[in-house]
Amino acid sequence: MDKFSLFLADYKGLIPDFNGYLQGLKRPLPLYYRINTLKIGTEEAKSLLRSEGIWFEETCFEELVLVKNHDPPPSPVLSYHLGYIYPQALSSCLPVKALDPKPHERLLDLCAAPGGKATHLAQTMKDMGLIVANDRKLGRITALMANIKRMGITNTVVTQARGEHFTWGHKFDKVIVDAPCSGIGRYRMDETGHIRHMKPGKTDLPAIQKGLITKGFDLLRSGGIMVYSTCTLNVEENEEVVHYLLQKRRAKLTPWDPPVPWSPGITRFKEKEYDKGVGLARRFYPHKIHSVGFFLARVVKA
Amino acid sequence: MLRPEDRLGLLAFLKDRFGMAPSSFEAYHIYAFKRQAFLFRRQPGKIDFPKSSFVRCGLPFMRLVAGYLKPTTVFLQRFGHLAWKNILHLDKAQIGRLCLEGEIDLGLESIDAQEIETPGYIIIKTGEYILGAGLILDNSRILCRFPKAMRQALVHINDL
Repeated sequence: MDKFSLFLADYKGLIPDFNGYLQGLKRPLPLYYRINTLKIGTEEAKSLLRSEGIWFEETCFEELVLVKNHDPPPSPVLSYHLGYIYPQALSSCLPVKALDPKPHERLLDLCAAPGGKATHLAQTMKDMGLIVANDRKLGRITALMANIKRMGITNTVVTQARGEHFTWGHKFDKVIVDAPCSGIGRYRMDETGHIRHMKPGKTDLPAIQKGLITKGFDLLRSGGIMVYSTCTLNVEENEEVVHYLLQKRRAKLTPWDPPVPWSPGITRFKEKEYDKGVGLARRFYPHKIHSVGFFLARVVKA
Repeated sequence: MLRPEDRLGLLAFLKDRFGMAPSSFEAYHIYAFKRQAFLFRRQPGKIDFPKSSFVRCGLPFMRLVAGYLKPTTVFLQRFGHLAWKNILHLDKAQIGRLCLEGEIDLGLESIDAQEIETPGYIIIKTGEYILGAGLILDNSRILCRFPKAMRQALVHINDL
């Protein structure tokens, strides 16, 4: 049995409308554009996109549009090269919405590359305050810097360090840990039934994720908020990691009402029982939100 | 961080060349690394950058190229709306040609009509959109100074 078949067997009873989920795997990942409000108004950008041949639908987020053109859509050359848009899944906007950053706050994005969330944070903060955007690999840092430049952002410091070993001279008001993960939320099935976007490798992801969530929490000021997120549906990389933090630190999950359909965090899985607080985490299934499957926990430092 | 006199020098250039008011940049620090300056949002408190992991801060702002100060494309795209002179308006066909050939000659009349001071860097606009920097030489020759990927993408702008 391959990795995904094992996943399906384990999650059949946990994923709501499981048949809908399986059907959804056969549809391609939808394309969204986030409008960079640091450079252009949303209405002006939408008008430019229309003039570039892009048909789109509005979404629950004013700055995000869902592209409706048939595959492949035309390339919005001007909008892209002028830094007016950033291709970004709806799910990837959720951590920034949950964190609700304010201008003048100090934020850390611990696993920032290629920069979707960091640049979204910057536009939400009106390019004020401070964002530290960190990542581990040089190649990914290059993409991160290119996106920060293209979006015209001035309030961001880029650092290169292993997230688990990251240090800074002061604490942060808010932290995002969008951890590396198995990416099951991105899986799609091709015409032959093969799963696309499956990541190879045997890395012990939960161990890395536990290191990252603990470090992110330790870098928070008292009363600060951290969002832990992944694009996987795997409990071992989500609820179990959050449970680990709750056992190790004085952390507390806080509820959040997302504007898209969600399910609560899973508190019992394969005979393991997790802290009840984990139920305040949010799961987003791809067939319910028409985007990448996602997990998010909003943690406050007591 | 840039010395105060160097900061004043850069801001004076922007004022002289493009009419940008130095006060527009009071909310920003200017940092220099090698031959490039970066615009970085001022912070309420002191920041101690960690030396071991620090890569970069802020937005690339200006470079010193062959004795000229060159504003970066990304800076002009974000802050070019503060400029009111040495802005060259080109139509999409001209932009396509500039990107394809790397330079175009618009003729003295056209340059004079737009009140462009030569030689030096200019802001290139099409319609209401600021695209980036160009360099004007020999009174009417415009050299494209857009990043390579953008230049390649805009070659066919007229067909879009």
